[in-house]
Amino acid sequence: MKQPIDNIWIGQKDLEQDIEFLKEATQEVSPSALTTGEMTEHLSGNRRDFLKFLGFGLGAATVAAGCDIPVKRAIPYVVKPEEIVPGVANYYASTFVNGGDYCSILVKTREGRPIKIEGNDLSPVTKGGTSARAQAAVLSLYDTHRISGPKMKSDKGWNDTSWEDLDKMVMTTIQASSNIRIIGNTNMSPSSNKTLAEFTAKYPNAKVVTYDPVSYSAILEANSLNFGKKSLPSYHFDKANVIVSFNADFLGTWISPIEFAGDYIKNRKIDDVTKAKMSRHIQVESHMSLTGSNADNRILVKPSEQGVAIAALYNSIVGGSMSTSGLNDKAKKALSKIAEELKAAQGAALVVSSSNVVAEQLMVNAINNVLGSYGSTINMGVTSQQAQGSDADFAALVNEMKAGSVDMVIIMNANPVYDAPMSSAFSAAFGKVKNKLSFNTTVDETTDKCDIIAPNHHFLESWGDVEVKQGHYTLIQPTIAPLFNTRQAELSLLKWSESASVDFTNPQPYYEYVKNNWKNTVFANQSAVSSFTTFWDSCVHDGVFNSAGTSSSSFTSVNIPSDYTKPSGKELEISFYETVQLGNGQYAGNPWLMEMPDPVNRTNWGNYLAVPVNFDGVSKMVGFQNLKDGELVELTIGDSKYTVPVIQQFGQMPGTVAIALGYGRTHAGITGQNVGINVNNDLTYVNGYRQNYSSNVAVSTKIGKEKDFSCVQYHHTIGVKAVDTESGKEINADEAALVFFDYFTGAKGFQGALTDRSVVYTAHVNDLKNSIEGLTKKRKHAQHLNEQQIYAGFDHNYKLGHHWGMHVDLNACIGCGACTVACMAENNVPVVGKHEVAIHHEMAWLRIDRYYYGDIESPNTIYQPMMCQHCDNAPCENVCPVNASNHSSEGLNQMAYNRCIGTRYCANNCPYKVRRFNWLDYTTADIFPGNQPKLADENIPFGADNLTRMVLNPDVTVRSRGVIEKCSFCVQRIQEGKLAAKVEGRELMDADVKTACQTSCPTGAITFGDMNNKKDMLSSKLESPLNYIALEEINVRSSVTYTMKVNNRDSALDA
Amino acid sequence: MYKHLKFSLYLAIFSLITISSLRAQVSPDAGKELFKSYCAACHAKDMRSAATGPALGGSQQRWGDDAALYAWIRNSQALIADGHPRAVELWNQYKPTVMTAFPNLTDDEIGSMLAYINGVYDGTYGAAPQAAGQETKGPVEKKSNLPMYIIIAVILAALALLLTKIILNLRHIVAAKEGEDYEKKTLWQIMSSKGVVTFLIFSAVILGSYTTVNNATNLGRQEGYSPDQPIKFSHETHAGLHKIDCQYCHDTARKSKHSSIPSANTCMNCHKAIKVGSKYGTAEITKIFASIGYDPTTNTYVENYESKTEEEIKAIYTKWMGDQYKVAKELADLDKEGVKLVEKQWKDIVKSLTNEQKKNIQGPIEWTRIHNLPDHVYFNHAQHVTVGKVECQTCHGPVETMEVLAQASPLSMGWCINCHRQTEVKFLDNPYYADYARYHEELASGKRTKVTVADIGGLECQKCHY
Repeated sequence: MKQPIDNIWIGQKDLEQDIEFLKEATQEVSPSALTTGEMTEHLSGNRRDFLKFLGFGLGAATVAAGCDIPVKRAIPYVVKPEEIVPGVANYYASTFVNGGDYCSILVKTREGRPIKIEGNDLSPVTKGGTSARAQAAVLSLYDTHRISGPKMKSDKGWNDTSWEDLDKMVMTTIQASSNIRIIGNTNMSPSSNKTLAEFTAKYPNAKVVTYDPVSYSAILEANSLNFGKKSLPSYHFDKANVIVSFNADFLGTWISPIEFAGDYIKNRKIDDVTKAKMSRHIQVESHMSLTGSNADNRILVKPSEQGVAIAALYNSIVGGSMSTSGLNDKAKKALSKIAEELKAAQGAALVVSSSNVVAEQLMVNAINNVLGSYGSTINMGVTSQQAQGSDADFAALVNEMKAGSVDMVIIMNANPVYDAPMSSAFSAAFGKVKNKLSFNTTVDETTDKCDIIAPNHHFLESWGDVEVKQGHYTLIQPTIAPLFNTRQAELSLLKWSESASVDFTNPQPYYEYVKNNWKNTVFANQSAVSSFTTFWDSCVHDGVFNSAGTSSSSFTSVNIPSDYTKPSGKELEISFYETVQLGNGQYAGNPWLMEMPDPVNRTNWGNYLAVPVNFDGVSKMVGFQNLKDGELVELTIGDSKYTVPVIQQFGQMPGTVAIALGYGRTHAGITGQNVGINVNNDLTYVNGYRQNYSSNVAVSTKIGKEKDFSCVQYHHTIGVKAVDTESGKEINADEAALVFFDYFTGAKGFQGALTDRSVVYTAHVNDLKNSIEGLTKKRKHAQHLNEQQIYAGFDHNYKLGHHWGMHVDLNACIGCGACTVACMAENNVPVVGKHEVAIHHEMAWLRIDRYYYGDIESPNTIYQPMMCQHCDNAPCENVCPVNASNHSSEGLNQMAYNRCIGTRYCANNCPYKVRRFNWLDYTTADIFPGNQPKLADENIPFGADNLTRMVLNPDVTVRSRGVIEKCSFCVQRIQEGKLAAKVEGRELMDADVKTACQTSCPTGAITFGDMNNKKDMLSSKLESPLNYIALEEINVRSSVTYTMKVNNRDSALDA
Repeated sequence: MYKHLKFSLYLAIFSLITISSLRAQVSPDAGKELFKSYCAACHAKDMRSAATGPALGGSQQRWGDDAALYAWIRNSQALIADGHPRAVELWNQYKPTVMTAFPNLTDDEIGSMLAYINGVYDGTYGAAPQAAGQETKGPVEKKSNLPMYIIIAVILAALALLLTKIILNLRHIVAAKEGEDYEKKTLWQIMSSKGVVTFLIFSAVILGSYTTVNNATNLGRQEGYSPDQPIKFSHETHAGLHKIDCQYCHDTARKSKHSSIPSANTCMNCHKAIKVGSKYGTAEITKIFASIGYDPTTNTYVENYESKTEEEIKAIYTKWMGDQYKVAKELADLDKEGVKLVEKQWKDIVKSLTNEQKKNIQGPIEWTRIHNLPDHVYFNHAQHVTVGKVECQTCHGPVETMEVLAQASPLSMGWCINCHRQTEVKFLDNPYYADYARYHEELASGKRTKVTVADIGGLECQKCHY
């Protein structure tokens, strides 16, 4: 540890007082945002131009006024379906599933079209939580790049065909084939697996090969050796007091992040400050992952040191003499201390690792066994199905294809040409297969190389089922009729296997198939309900069914091979990581996810090479090879060379760099293609297992600068300290303009040049009492300042009716970003594209600010969801010349779009920087196409087509160019909730109004409610002494309360 | 097993008690709901006037025999077939309109409906709450101030003229006294002087702008808009003459933001029985049949109607229209005029049910939308109809008198706001408003006489714009 900074910082730019950054921070919009190159050049005008436009405007208005009002039609149903009431949303229970990604959901439909995804409270696995990926799934239904029907390839490209012709063609191909392989990712559906079984039974020369874009093969193998079960266990992070994770990003991407986040946070929330207790979480990694950023301590090891790091822990806990040579001293010391702590927490300890080396996973299992984790924090009796891929099977498949012995391949929800390790070797082998068929829904890299497409339904159009864990079943039910001429993949398989177990003349054959399968399996194995119809109806209604199915398991010790990873000794190593947003590229075509900033480095629209930053001990941050954010370098991994921009990453181990997987797709629609670089080809196998790092890497010095550097970390900053150029005094950057307003008093700055702003507060769990005292003192001081006003006594107190407020528990927030996507979906927030993000034009109403604090070399992280604070003394309202922004009697800061004339005074005056201006016609609501921005090289702007617009929430205005918008506290939900209470003639309850961000959160960090209602959940949360109000001292009277961030860092591990 | 038996026993005892207390369960409130869902389509809700079915007020006395009346309500045709004298009498009066059978109604439910009907008929139902405290507001007479203004203007103008004359004369006298040559200006010279011209231009600009702004504000407003509809549907007949409750057809008004146009299957609830209209005969009602695929000749829905060709559809409905013509004219065969009429009606059906986008006769009837709210405004019917208990006519005008429906209100923001300022919230009836404790205290202490929509934030932007 060098020079701990007892402070909070945004990044190296504010630590260094970077001049360019401060210039941007002192203004509402950065100067670069206003000069958008070619866009503004022709926008200059003189008096004559003004008169011309005035004349044109008058003329146009006159002509328009002369037009007839268009006749609108009102078209009723012929026979109205009983359950549909136009204007009232219906919710259907279903399941979001993609490979191992799983979320039990409710789908909100309006007039028959799905528009929003909510979590399903009835699921014991996800418990009503969602992820960004689940939230964004509804947009993928309306993807304009979905395949419109069955197709066959000819010399000229794809030709449409009919399902009959396709079936005939496929049948002859199958019958003529001697070796058929079905390649898919993890498949958790019992019914789908049954169709695969029927197919392989009918054609014994067919085989299913399962692989995963990010492999869990070694952990499966280790469990098979130790327990005789080739599956994952259930982890219970809520039961663990000490958690050690070796590079496993269990809050972001590892196995079941929604479930783990919910469990993990139970031991991290501080509900009672007098009895504050917290689990300790130690992350051993080189690149700061989302999980690592939430950890109390991070032990930095190079990717190739993971093996010996695990061995060191193994030696101390299990006892043994596995070689640990090459492990850095600091980590070695720390790990021996961690071992003591783990031993002390016997029965409440948990060690997890994402390693894909069998020996390492065997060591982890042995450690957990000695610590008594099996039966307490790990349950091998309820196995999880969330990863089933086998690296060995996949490697064997590649060899078979290479040898030319496979004559037909069926691709089922997988994209191996893109995401397989050494993907060029895979695609070469793939090319040798004569007949290739794909079930995929878009023309991705793999489908592009196939000959036949039998497109599958989107999951929101399908029937299906999922058994995510033993005995935890969920159903998938369609929420809309298929938009295109697609067919369920399982049904295609049944058709081709000429199955007798399904009636193809039935209007919904696969529904009957799933239902029958449940009748014979799930229903038959339970005894609570005797009638199948009752059972089935309740399952469809709830979406979930849980049977108490456990199986016995006992740990068998096995010899641990010594072939675990040994340190490479190389100076530089690179790790490849999966991101929360895109996975390994499966979600690259989704604009919401593409525009969602990475929680940790806060970049979007591309992958950036994370390079370490070092503190020189005085005032400068020394970047790796003097590189700065957004500078281009040449990255050499093995034989491949890439040009890639860098981002300076705190907590990145010196001597390592990292880059995200999932970018650089070549066939992913306009959104995903050619964004960033694809490094899947450089992933290698060690002992037959895919590895997510390489030690054969070199990074050049700066070779250029990225044109559009789309990182939002330095956008919309608050509380930044700057130095006044004239006086040399420290000032608050936000109020730089006010420094010059000093002619009467002679004093510089505003409110006594208060630079120490209350943005976030931190505390250690053992020092909570002192920290709370400090916080109370600061709050008292702020409140005292606020009382010193000229117009005292004129405050509206909002005691009548409702007073809406929000509480954000920063100890529960893990920064996963589900809320940001939920907000975009709920409120029709537009996607603006890379260029617009780079010039500070991102439109997100809800952003998650990331701050670092503590040790500058290995900092702790705070995630602070920041949205409109609905100040009761709002500075934005006073400055609006047309009163478009004003306050409601319920304490809402209202924004009337049709009144807004776009002066942007309010955005300039907002201390929280949460107001967004529609610089261009992002929602394509304008009739002038020139005003509509494009995300990439598309023909029409994103969202201008009728298909994508089906996702819009009809209760929320689609804003057009030239108006300001911001978080409305989901006012449409408030009004809906109030109406429900009024119609039922009762008082408003907690459950009536929940904002989109609140319902999406997997950890329950956000609570919304009526501050006047003392029975509300919110009121109890508002009593915590950890609470504070951001920027309380400026007397804007915000309605959002945050909590002090508490950590449980063990400083002994830093030494 | 024993447990089950025990449970069943309890259940049986419980149901016995329930059945024995049947008479006590009869409630006019429940009857009102039942009446709305089962009877209101054909029977007038004032219980005094005849609509499709007879007035129900006093029917219990007229029948005198409850058992027969109950049987009649459950299945009138059966009672007619049995030859019950009152039943036969009614049938002769109203045939061929058949009353829908309701075999599932319990004695309890029928009792409730009769209690409601009697209550409304003799004025005891719903009278008490209305009497309490609600003062009747007489129409406020609006006095026009225009004549007074004109008188003042005339007096002032006369005064100005007089003063000008005096000044001119005085000047003339002064000039004459001082021996100067004072030239008297002509009217033209006065009118073309700089001051007057400036004044005129200025006035023109002010007036012009005022008119422009006024007209611009009215752009998109279409008060009085009454377009032709594909079916000459008469609200006067349905809501006025037959007194069908608005919400029988526009049923989503009470639970949704939209008050949707009824789907064709709602029309069929009555028009299965009423197949020929009183005004237009077969011309209009057949359009409903052609939309949904109902064959009025056989009283069945046509199978696979979706896949029928225009010729096949034409055959079904021209036969029906022809047959009805024959019945009306008491002809054995269709005469020349009849053929022409049927052909004309068929052409009208095709024209009404198809358009450029919709090529098939089958499918929804595309009505022309009359009430178009301005853009970017959220309006919720349930809020006004269910919570605010606002009569439909308050905004939509006297619909029950409109043969052709027209927009009665401007649907402008000023109009909304005015109403929100004046309308009282149903404050004391709804426990939701308990949150407004201060208003309750003020109402109780007499400090406040009413709570309007504006008082609880009904004028704020985000009540309607979000």
